[in-house]
Amino acid sequence: MEPVRILGICCNWSPFACYNAAGMAGMNTPANFQLIRVMCIGRINQALILRAFEFGADGVILLECTDEDCRYGPGPEVGHENVHRVRRILHLLGIRQERLVERTFGAHEKERLAQTLRDFTEEMATLGPLMSKSHKRDGLKS
Amino acid sequence: MNDQKIDQMIVDMSLYQCLECGKCTASCPRRLSGKEYSPRLLAHKVISEREDEAYIENSVWECLTCGLCRERCPSGVDFNRFILEMRTMLAETKGLKGYRAHDGAIHSWMRMMTVPHLKQNRLEWLDPSIKWASSGDVAFFTGCAPYFNVFFAGIDADTLSIARDSIRLLNFLDIKPVLLPDERCCGHDLLWSGDVENFERLCRLNYASFKDAGVKEIIVSCPECFQILSEHMPCVVPGFDIRVTLLLDLLQREMQLGSMAFRPLKRKVTYQDPCRLGRMLNRYAGPRELLGLIPEMEFREMENSGRGALCCGNCGFINCDASSKQIQVQRLKEALATGADMLVTACPKCMIHLTCTIRDPLMQGKKIQMEIRDLVSVLADQIE
Repeated sequence: MEPVRILGICCNWSPFACYNAAGMAGMNTPANFQLIRVMCIGRINQALILRAFEFGADGVILLECTDEDCRYGPGPEVGHENVHRVRRILHLLGIRQERLVERTFGAHEKERLAQTLRDFTEEMATLGPLMSKSHKRDGLKS
Repeated sequence: MNDQKIDQMIVDMSLYQCLECGKCTASCPRRLSGKEYSPRLLAHKVISEREDEAYIENSVWECLTCGLCRERCPSGVDFNRFILEMRTMLAETKGLKGYRAHDGAIHSWMRMMTVPHLKQNRLEWLDPSIKWASSGDVAFFTGCAPYFNVFFAGIDADTLSIARDSIRLLNFLDIKPVLLPDERCCGHDLLWSGDVENFERLCRLNYASFKDAGVKEIIVSCPECFQILSEHMPCVVPGFDIRVTLLLDLLQREMQLGSMAFRPLKRKVTYQDPCRLGRMLNRYAGPRELLGLIPEMEFREMENSGRGALCCGNCGFINCDASSKQIQVQRLKEALATGADMLVTACPKCMIHLTCTIRDPLMQGKKIQMEIRDLVSVLADQIE
């Protein structure tokens, strides 16, 4: 069976600091995990999360700052709202809600971040690859 | 751009017949709301200045596809089909670029539905008051309504109520329709955004699920879904043998048989002609006759109605912008100017787009508040 594909969407501030520190400390992160770094999780909208699934992600994890840590203000709250809404659409499509999660981190939690990624990837491997893989990418030329 | 294909389109859609009279542009809602968009100039550029690719490409995506230009054209230029085929060609070669509304979320879930082994949870909204069946001769097509209700929860546009009320009306007529758990989007928005490949995939999957349930006739309330199922699906699926009925037509037939009576409703209403239902399917009188059956209801016509009706501002969730908003504000003001206190429409998309403007915080000063209801909901509430 082909391995699952995991996408992490990561805020540039606390979670990315953790991710960076975890890498510097040589901690294990899953090989089938890809990271997209954005300035703030508030930049991500419902369409981008849905598109990750459309393009073949088997699980999507949003790595956010805690609510009070956001450099811009409402970023993580936007993230909570989007996850809530997209999960309902995924539910209609018959895609299990566990496949989309969000986790918040302080800037010092590199161990917890690495562990979270390993746990999430393992959970997705148990669920197996998602059936709903789209055939054509969006009608877009890359 | 593929010159040979465009040459063929010019011939097929009678673009050479263009007299450059400019009636299309003069009536185009997009142009009247201040956009740099002109159907006449697009026709001219396609014929004789094809090197201006940027202009042509931009115009093809700017079009609302409302069909008012085609309605006004004295030479019979088939603008709608021209735009559709140009979009198909451009999406294949250049991509859709940034013209999608909501960043393409809607098109995304429609494309996700093209997977064969999808186990949707699309029937959870049903309550015990609705009588339905899982197999039988007659089915009802709910389309994307459950999805829209989730996605547009923020503006409280309840398109599922249209499906619910349609089934209530069918139940009243002793029809217990089949509801398909694995039915998919009809693909209208994918088709109009140029993604023919996935559109056809949806058509074939939908046909297969109708067949699996043993359906012989399918009743549709959404004009877009009806147009796709009745006109486009038979071209995609060879041997298409399912009867497609528009709920409005069915209600009109029943009305003539005298099987329906309505309780009075003391309201002043006006009616928004959806472009798919009016200009494309030529249903102008039906909705008005049905509304006329409700006693004590006062019907007021808008300044632009029937064949000249104004678009609700967007189609297929492409290129929604300030100009769309302006068209919607104008439409709502027209509706209010009739003195009506309720705007009745017959398409879930009109409902979504107009509700969006009513709920827009930036539009609060504009005095455009008005109740919007679908025709079937009005009828279902008054039936006795």
